[in-house]
Amino acid sequence: MTKENSPVGKRVWYDGEFLYYLTIDNETFSLFPKAIPFQLPLKRCSVVGNGGILKNSRCGKQIDQADFVMRCNLPPLSNAYSNDVGSKTQLVTANPSIIKKRFQNLLWSRKAFVDNVKVYNQSYIYMPAFSMKTGTEPSLRVYYTLTDVGAKQTVIFANPNFLREIGKFWKSKGIHGKRLSTGLFLVSAALGLCEEVTIYGFWPFSMDLHGRYISHHYYDNVLPDSGFHAMPEEFLQLWFLHKRGVLRMQLERCEDS
Amino acid sequence: YFEFYDGPLEYNSTKCLDLRREIMELKVLSLTKQTELFERWKNLQICKWEMNITEANFFKSTLSRCCNAPAFLFTTQKNTPLGTELKYEVDTSRIFHINNEVFRMFPKEMPYYRSQFKKCAVVGNGGILKNSQCGGEIDSADFVFRCNLPPISKRYVADVGVKTNIVTVNPSIITERFQKLEKWRKPFYDVLKVYENASVLLPAFYNTHNTDVSIRVRYVLDDFESKKAVYFFHPQYLINVSRYWLNQGVRAKRVTTGLILVTAALELCEEVHLFGFWGFPMNPSGIFITHHYYDNIKPRPGFHAMPSEIFNFIHMHTKGILRVHTDACNFL
Repeated sequence: MTKENSPVGKRVWYDGEFLYYLTIDNETFSLFPKAIPFQLPLKRCSVVGNGGILKNSRCGKQIDQADFVMRCNLPPLSNAYSNDVGSKTQLVTANPSIIKKRFQNLLWSRKAFVDNVKVYNQSYIYMPAFSMKTGTEPSLRVYYTLTDVGAKQTVIFANPNFLREIGKFWKSKGIHGKRLSTGLFLVSAALGLCEEVTIYGFWPFSMDLHGRYISHHYYDNVLPDSGFHAMPEEFLQLWFLHKRGVLRMQLERCEDS
Repeated sequence: YFEFYDGPLEYNSTKCLDLRREIMELKVLSLTKQTELFERWKNLQICKWEMNITEANFFKSTLSRCCNAPAFLFTTQKNTPLGTELKYEVDTSRIFHINNEVFRMFPKEMPYYRSQFKKCAVVGNGGILKNSQCGGEIDSADFVFRCNLPPISKRYVADVGVKTNIVTVNPSIITERFQKLEKWRKPFYDVLKVYENASVLLPAFYNTHNTDVSIRVRYVLDDFESKKAVYFFHPQYLINVSRYWLNQGVRAKRVTTGLILVTAALELCEEVHLFGFWGFPMNPSGIFITHHYYDNIKPRPGFHAMPSEIFNFIHMHTKGILRVHTDACNFL
């Protein structure tokens, strides 16, 4: 959302609700940047999913070598993982549901959250504030929280029109989940913003290519609610893109070079 | 009376004894008697004020029996153990279960003891403070109480001072001016920061609406890594103080924060000085004054009984229990 594309008084239709909109008021408007804050086009981008396939991948260095690194859903980036997933971040998405679950909607102490996002340094925190009704307040609260304490991160909000169009596009390609995963939204965005896209950690299966069992995420093995995302269908589409050379999908371990 | 003024009269002079008796003769405050009260109060100003140790000690011992601020002014880990079912002051049928999170916010014990401070100033926000030049005298006190986040910026400092040891916050301010601290928090923090080392005191357990916003104040200070203390009035203390004053004839829906602080100060301090307490639309000389020293926003009618509270203070001043300042100060 920018001041340019979302002026005061505009109705914003939520992409995850049935016929629900918010009219942009002065207060909300003041939270938007004037225009898209990136220097476009971005050159080489790494889009990092959180799949268990990244564990022991030693891809950290390669991920960090890109000009712009995008990550999903405030993933852990402590030293224990940096060899495998890197440490650089320019953009990280944050789901309002995480704000609710892990940080009590930022209604009480906010320090834990502020400390938690320090690993993302000067990155943008990209939030789908206008997808579900219940996500708006927590998302705006992330903005207030980080601005209040003068944090290095900048909060930006996903435009629901963009998300809706991306959803429609992939639906037409045969992806039938209730909602696209953040990862696919992010890859789609990256393809529009970057000259070269490499994706890591996108592998929604319980075994790697060599038949070794892997955990669900690189940092835990908490399985998602079934039937919400259509991960294998999404993966198939990404695989097609890889084969056509539209993006590069890293599935093997990275070589030290 | 300034025209014939040649220095204050001794406390025990016949003239002053008479003037004091005249004030004590006014037993009830009615509209007709108000001008009379003003007149007699004005006349008394030519007398030096002294504390009457006997009267003061008697009064303080009454307070220690009814209210006991040095043990019960705030909720502490000692007087409100983990698991306590704390009764609200107003929503009497409601209780708050003291859980670990809230318990940890309480101080271990009351941070102040009986008669700890020699001279205290309790600063009300009355328009009477405007142009009073009392800032210096207020700041010279050992301990300063203020009510309801009053402005103490440069333009007021000469009249009200800056020193603050305790400042109370009415949760309604947090709700109205700071959106319950659910959105931005820095504006509120910036306001608190002005009171340098002051502790923040809130009626968290007055009614159920107050609890969440009051607790949130602790979190805001944590967010900004502030070491400021946050205390909560013990609801039982508030109940006892209200009951005490009701028996003294203060009939209001609610006693003011000012009266509560004065009551607490009487137990925590040897000498209590009141500034900015004058709940009348005009000063003792009959000149209209603003409601507050910083604005003229009138309170909800029928909620507080200001005149009745002031009437009590005047009597206490006359008895030598505390000192009410309504004149301009000439502090050097």
